[in-house]
Amino acid sequence: MSRSRLRRAITGFARYSALVLLATLLVLPIWWLLASSLRPAAEIFRHAGEIGLAGLWPETITVEHYTRAFAGELPRAVANSLFVALSTVLLGVLVCSLAGFAFAVFDFPFRRTLFAIVLLTFMMPFESIVIPLYVLIRTLGWSNTYWALILPEVASGLVVFLFRQFFAGIPKELYEAARVDGASWLAIWAKLTLPLSGPVVAAASLVLFIHQWDAFFWPLVAAPSAELVTVQVAVARNVTLEVANWGGLFASASTAILLAMIPFFLLQRWYVRTVALGSER
Amino acid sequence: MSRGFRVPLWVPAAFLASALLLLAVFRLAPIAIALGGSLTGTKLTGETVFLGLANFAALAEDPAFWRSLEVTLLFNLLVNPLQIACALALALLVLREGPLVPFFRAAFLLPMTVSIALASVLWAILLEPTSGPVNGVLRTLGLPPQPFFRSERQALPSLILLASWKGVGYWMLFLLAGLLQIPKEFHEAAALDGAGALQRFLRITLPLMRRPLAFVLVADTAANFLLFAPVYVITHGGPNGATSLLMFEAYQAAFAYLDHGRSLAISSVILLILAAIAALELRLFKERG
Repeated sequence: MSRSRLRRAITGFARYSALVLLATLLVLPIWWLLASSLRPAAEIFRHAGEIGLAGLWPETITVEHYTRAFAGELPRAVANSLFVALSTVLLGVLVCSLAGFAFAVFDFPFRRTLFAIVLLTFMMPFESIVIPLYVLIRTLGWSNTYWALILPEVASGLVVFLFRQFFAGIPKELYEAARVDGASWLAIWAKLTLPLSGPVVAAASLVLFIHQWDAFFWPLVAAPSAELVTVQVAVARNVTLEVANWGGLFASASTAILLAMIPFFLLQRWYVRTVALGSER
Repeated sequence: MSRGFRVPLWVPAAFLASALLLLAVFRLAPIAIALGGSLTGTKLTGETVFLGLANFAALAEDPAFWRSLEVTLLFNLLVNPLQIACALALALLVLREGPLVPFFRAAFLLPMTVSIALASVLWAILLEPTSGPVNGVLRTLGLPPQPFFRSERQALPSLILLASWKGVGYWMLFLLAGLLQIPKEFHEAAALDGAGALQRFLRITLPLMRRPLAFVLVADTAANFLLFAPVYVITHGGPNGATSLLMFEAYQAAFAYLDHGRSLAISSVILLILAAIAALELRLFKERG
């Protein structure tokens, strides 16, 4: 009895040692960046090599880097990214839920084929078509516009799929009852189905928001002008342009990371459930 | 698919129009442009001319392209198994309930909230050879500082470290979902029969995890084939081509050398590789029923 208890204690200790070590490796870089962004310029790298509390917690806390970063192009970049991401969420939920509704509820010719094409588009990652898409946008004269940033991300195969799966689970009798009451299909979609689909709307919004907020390659080529610059492009350009201004770089990178974490941790539950289960279906 | 409501054709057409139009313009048309454009070139006068397979023939004779393809394949051969092994280890560690386990699950997910561009910025700073904190720690431990992204030998391993740091938590999610579906009784019965932990892992867990693992392998490979941001932000393909991944090579051709034919030819090669990966993915999807 005591021997098996000893063995369990040893495996428990090994498990938690591994957990602590791995969590440290994964979290420490972010922590170090956030802590360093609050250090006075002269102290940023003085503690870089220290193992211990001094390396992890700034002695003097200052927001000087943040004030300076926000006096530059950062506010414009944050506003651009938020505008682009939120517009994408709004249009994307609208467009993809309409399509998901049609695939789930109606019977029409080529339904399977069209749905297969939709699935296919989400197996081709967006990054793979960035350069031909750029050629297209340039020919249409849309480069350096908000439309170039927003429109390509609105229709997402994954989001159409998520909506279809959810709508297909709603009992048919509900639709029949509404039809008997004389409701149009558009009214059924707007007043019956969408209000029931809170969790999918949350997950879809998060998928669309994060994809757009994190986007780098496409904004870099499609809308590089200063008025349209997004957070990712602005921060990444700072690395090459302002190597001397580490403090400003840390502050702007920290701001961008923290802003992306807020929706993630607010909606994480729905995201994890929907995406992980979606892949299983 | 179950039978749906029979309605006049214009009803589903109206519901589908916006999404299908957007997908056609922004997803399907670019594929056609890549394949078509790779057969053309631009003359100095600016007019587009049909070249046939000349762009591909030029690629086949270009050592820079072969080097890039080789680096991309090597990178994928190393990074995908490594990431999946780490993701599986993480998933197994947080599978069973215990004190603080929800906290560790959240901690493992933290890097996936950092975009690839910002992760590149972060690791460019961490691995900075002169004043970066990783070399600072090495010095404190009495070890020699390393060049990381600045050396031909260490650049690709550094890139693998960066990609894995960002990716393992995300792939852990999918594997954890798979592990949670294995009935506990399987393990309990095997344990009663005297099977050790390692034996149970090899005989029960791994075979039952074949599908989630295959799914993650395919999806992870597709993602890593398209890696671009770290190369753009940190190494610019160097030193000496050691990190010239295909996506960056296509970008360079289009935006540094303004050679759209070559760039679209590289894009077509990438699309063909991804189509093969997607076909594999589709088969996995069908197997699932």
